[in-house]
Amino acid sequence: MTSRRIDDAVRRVLDGGRLGPADALVLYTDLSTNELGQLADAVRAARHPDRIVTYIIDRNVNYTNVCVARCNFCAFYREVGATDGYVLGFDEIFAKIDETIAVGGMQLLLQGGHNPDLPLAWYEDLFRAVKTRHPDFKLHALSPPEVIHLSRLSQLPARTVIDRLVAAGLDSIPGGGAEILVDRVRKHLNCYGKATATEWIDVMRHAHEAGLRTTATMMYGTVERPDERIEHLLRLRELQDETGGFTAFITWSFQPSNTELGGVGATGVEYLRTLALARLVLDNFDNLQASWVTQGGKVGQLSLAYGANDMGSVMIEENVVRSAGAAYCMDEVEIVRNIEDAGFVPKRRDMQYKTLGDPVFRERQVPRMTALATARDAGDTSVPVELDRYPARSLAGKRRQSA
Amino acid sequence: MTDASWFEAVGDKLRDGVSLSESEIAVLSETRDLVRLGALADERRRRLRGDRATFVRVAEATTTDAVEVGVPRQAGELRLAGCPATDSLLLQSVREAARIAGDVPVSGFALDELVDLCRRDVARFDDLVAALRTEGLAYIAEARVERTEDPAWVARASAAGVPVARWTVCDQAADGNSALQRVARWGGDAAVPALAPLSRTLSEKPSTGYEDVRRVALARLLVDNIDSIQVDWRRYGPQLAQVALTFGADDIDGVSPGDSEEHGTRRSTLGEITRNIRAACLVPVERDGRFRTLRTHHQ
Ligand code: SF4
Repeated sequence: MTSRRIDDAVRRVLDGGRLGPADALVLYTDLSTNELGQLADAVRAARHPDRIVTYIIDRNVNYTNVCVARCNFCAFYREVGATDGYVLGFDEIFAKIDETIAVGGMQLLLQGGHNPDLPLAWYEDLFRAVKTRHPDFKLHALSPPEVIHLSRLSQLPARTVIDRLVAAGLDSIPGGGAEILVDRVRKHLNCYGKATATEWIDVMRHAHEAGLRTTATMMYGTVERPDERIEHLLRLRELQDETGGFTAFITWSFQPSNTELGGVGATGVEYLRTLALARLVLDNFDNLQASWVTQGGKVGQLSLAYGANDMGSVMIEENVVRSAGAAYCMDEVEIVRNIEDAGFVPKRRDMQYKTLGDPVFRERQVPRMTALATARDAGDTSVPVELDRYPARSLAGKRRQSA
Repeated sequence: MTDASWFEAVGDKLRDGVSLSESEIAVLSETRDLVRLGALADERRRRLRGDRATFVRVAEATTTDAVEVGVPRQAGELRLAGCPATDSLLLQSVREAARIAGDVPVSGFALDELVDLCRRDVARFDDLVAALRTEGLAYIAEARVERTEDPAWVARASAAGVPVARWTVCDQAADGNSALQRVARWGGDAAVPALAPLSRTLSEKPSTGYEDVRRVALARLLVDNIDSIQVDWRRYGPQLAQVALTFGADDIDGVSPGDSEEHGTRRSTLGEITRNIRAACLVPVERDGRFRTLRTHHQ
């Protein structure tokens, strides 16, 4: 019976049909890893017959680690008033942008904690200042839960928050904060309050309707069941049918170290299986990224055989995964070496997946990067002067401003 | 040329026990169709070894610090690193290691080091190996393929009472595949229970994931005179070692006998290895340094 169901589901994929939840589940639980990989690879090859594998040079900047959401899977956040809580100053962010441009980058991936002392105006001022200095530099910023946080803080609808951010210079929205889009799971992870599954989807719908392109993500390996991973993928597929606004999908496994939730991380084989499943279910997504930041370079490269067609970002900086103990680094030279070694053609891209050209280091000399930068040097507790321009909401922030 | 039907034809040949041609081996050695290659290797592995994946917890010590380091009770093997400069120091190091190891098998040394120590004198080699056996050496830890000119030394060691535990490949460079073919050619005269196809030496340019799993798969497909294809847990890490199990490997070597302290978090290594093996849809079987089954870790 099961093998008949597997055969039917495989046939459906090969015929270009759409997988329902039961088909997806049977493939995920009963097909061997190699067979699942072969199927995903065939779908990837059909969608990208040119054998191009893309990557982007950008910088993952976390503007603050202060957060009131307190997700129990997060090792990155600090409570309001914590001595090691930080907010980056505008000048620090400008310096990071200059460094990014120097190595051929053209975008910041800007995300951070839900800091009650940063009102909407702080983001608007920052975005305007960036665009004044570098009009063509792209801001891929603020995941849906951050938009919802700003909506609550400013008492404006999420749609209005997005419109104002776009007017200030926002170019696209990253798909962070999705975790698993099933409310049972979100309640367990203490992230239901920051955004329910429907709220996350709604923000993305607003963004797409406002003309923004966004990515979609999934963090698996906590308390969810396989059918809930599939439910997550189906919710994304449904919105993509409706708006076509997602450019790419990225999945990674929960990194348990230093988190309240704790436990153990999912294995490399589970990652490859989950990635392959996503390629099969998300039949209306063009691009799937490899998460070498969480899986390491080797499994990251193997992702290209299990459905991925993009090596993600030459990150330059990373803070969130590092807080949970993983600290892999690949600069452009390494990413290109891995792509070519796997038999693909490397091309630089932008967030819209428009090809920008060949590797930068083949056109001019760029410094090699052997370690990812951090948001700040350890022990730097400085408070940016411009914070005083924005009325604090937290008690700690009010005390600081009145001191 | 290497489409699905080509791989099916190669799979049929392997199933029928027909040797692959030089050109087929060359194509497999270069293929970027990794998952199909992996499927061939996995099928062969399952045919030969079923759904078991073995692992061994190894206490590592140098020939001079074994007594200080001691042997954790969870260890299934004590492996000595390094090779003393004289016969007497060599024998003494094994004697002391065996004393502290108790029932735990002791292994150590590379075959070529022993051959060099004996200045290639056959009689002296036989005497030395016999003496090592008397002192308690269960296995010679490795025979390095690139440093083995004559596989007859492997058979000599075995005949003198201490077999070689594994073939190892030193060079990461492209000729690693020719090392596999050499092992395959040496056949039954140089019978060794395991082959560790991934390079033991770190190079400036680290190998990629594709290179590693392709090498593992080729080892399984090209070398049919060896039972176990091994990947080292400590050297290659849990992620790659686990993925290698789906590309033809069936044995995880070098698992730490203590807890692992990764990213400041204490984790049970046993829990981690068994979880990884199960997540690869295999049954974890713990063995000792003599390749004897100690325990099947059922869920
Ligand atoms: S995951 Fe984001 S929202 Fe949740 S606690 Fe961490 S920083 Fe805050």
